[in-house]
Amino acid sequence: MSSLRTEGLTKAFGGVLAVDGATVELREGRINGLIGPNGSGKTTFFNLITGMIRPDSGQVLYRDREITRHSPHRIAHAGIGRTFQLCRIFPRLTVMENMLVAVRRTRLRELLAGLHDKGEVERARHWLRRMGIEHLEEAEARDLSYGQQKLLELAAVLMAEPELVLLDEPAGGVNPALIDRIVGLVRDLNAEGRTFLVVEHNMDMVMGMCDHVIVFDRGAPIAEGPPSSVREDPRVLEAYLGV
Amino acid sequence: MRTVSRGLPLLVAALAIAYPWLVPNYYLVYAGALTVMYAAMSTSWNLLGGFTGYVSLGHSAFFGLGAYGTGLLVVRLDVPWVVALLVSALLVTVFAVGVGIAAVRVRGASFVIVSIALVSMMNLVVQGWRSLTGGSTGLQIPSPFPGLHRGQTHVVFFYLFLALLGLALLTWWYVSRSRFGAGLRAIREDEDKAESLGVPTAAYKVIAFSLSALFVSLAGGLYAVWFGSLDPIFVFSILIGSYMVLMSLLGGVRNLYGPLLGALIVAPAGEYFLIALGETQIHLTATGLVLVLVVLFMPDGILARFTRKRGGPSIPDESADQRLQGVAP
Repeated sequence: MSSLRTEGLTKAFGGVLAVDGATVELREGRINGLIGPNGSGKTTFFNLITGMIRPDSGQVLYRDREITRHSPHRIAHAGIGRTFQLCRIFPRLTVMENMLVAVRRTRLRELLAGLHDKGEVERARHWLRRMGIEHLEEAEARDLSYGQQKLLELAAVLMAEPELVLLDEPAGGVNPALIDRIVGLVRDLNAEGRTFLVVEHNMDMVMGMCDHVIVFDRGAPIAEGPPSSVREDPRVLEAYLGV
Repeated sequence: MRTVSRGLPLLVAALAIAYPWLVPNYYLVYAGALTVMYAAMSTSWNLLGGFTGYVSLGHSAFFGLGAYGTGLLVVRLDVPWVVALLVSALLVTVFAVGVGIAAVRVRGASFVIVSIALVSMMNLVVQGWRSLTGGSTGLQIPSPFPGLHRGQTHVVFFYLFLALLGLALLTWWYVSRSRFGAGLRAIREDEDKAESLGVPTAAYKVIAFSLSALFVSLAGGLYAVWFGSLDPIFVFSILIGSYMVLMSLLGGVRNLYGPLLGALIVAPAGEYFLIALGETQIHLTATGLVLVLVVLFMPDGILARFTRKRGGPSIPDESADQRLQGVAP
């Protein structure tokens, strides 16, 4: 079954065509990798899917329902969560408060409910425990190391219970031990039924972790398939190495 | 420490209630009522500014509209002043929802400019609509307590403003403990990130904007019946909005009592300058100077120095990595 499908998605910034008629399909239950040279439109593609920017044309369908031009919070409620290329947390909030920001529904009663609702706090602790940072729940997020902030960012996304998780360079700026931990977490979460789309420059990570890899160049996919076949694809070699 | 932090507000509340009976003359009661009015307004301003980080210099628009709304209902339609106060506040809040929907679409400096434009527009409208508002000659409102002399009226309004301050503080406290409040704070930290986590940021901002306007308009309405004379140049002055910002910043926008502390410093200081130096512009210069100093050297306000839970360098990487090694699959 298709989790997410884009059809002819296009976005230009002035004269620069960042995403050029991208048609992509993600199947449910897979860990999908999205790779490509710098400036190939990967992050813009993420932003278009999550409603951060509006496309000039084309469609985004999630589970066969159109979500093009929906606001980011509606897309989050639909079940799509994301992290950012440069880790984004709420620096002056505590780790626990960062976790409790995520909103799954906007019923008035829930919004006016106390922040430290027992059930929600327990759910937050569950995710913090899985990330290995539950001992930091009272700390302000800005006091955490970069690696810890990366884990917090992922934990906060998971608090919204997304079924499709978009990770933008999860290995960027973190040490090898933490990369292994993130890979393990993604695999575990995938085994629990979550679909992933991962933008990453660390090829070892992508090739070792992903079931399916999509290669972007100049704003559109040029190749896709299992990692073993993508690695040998001449179009991919040309895009990356110019040969 | 906890006993002190719980006991101190109670002690301050008791002192505030006793204040009119402790001071030697009615002038000090008047100055106290003015201070409490500013405390209530800056606490209300902080429902928007403190939670979301959206700095409105134009909140005096809601003060002026609340004042004129109440005054006009009393003078033109003979509505009892309490009903006029509530109806006016309700109408201003509805107006604020409309303004908020448009205003919070922009951020940062653009929002500040929009807020200034709002108060300037309201000033022009009220001055220009002479047949209804009295224009630049102002509006006279009869005293709601004709049996009381001026000093006794100050006492009554001291307590009314104190009640409003209590309500504003209670609202801020309640919001700060709710999921809604967490969403507002997240907007202050990173609006796009909050939106990506499912927070409907536009709706949250409009609600905070309107709630803030509601309390400020109530203060304006009380001011109208207290003073009995409205001058559009004063009630729609950017200076009133600037005072709300200054008091909140000085005390600390992230703290429930920050704006109150700021008001307790700035409002009496303003009165002192007026008495000591007369009707000069020196108190304005002093206000501007304090604002600059606060922004430069104490951006988090006085109370932030006492409430930061954890200071200093970040939590060492080692602890995380060691833990990660320990739990690696």
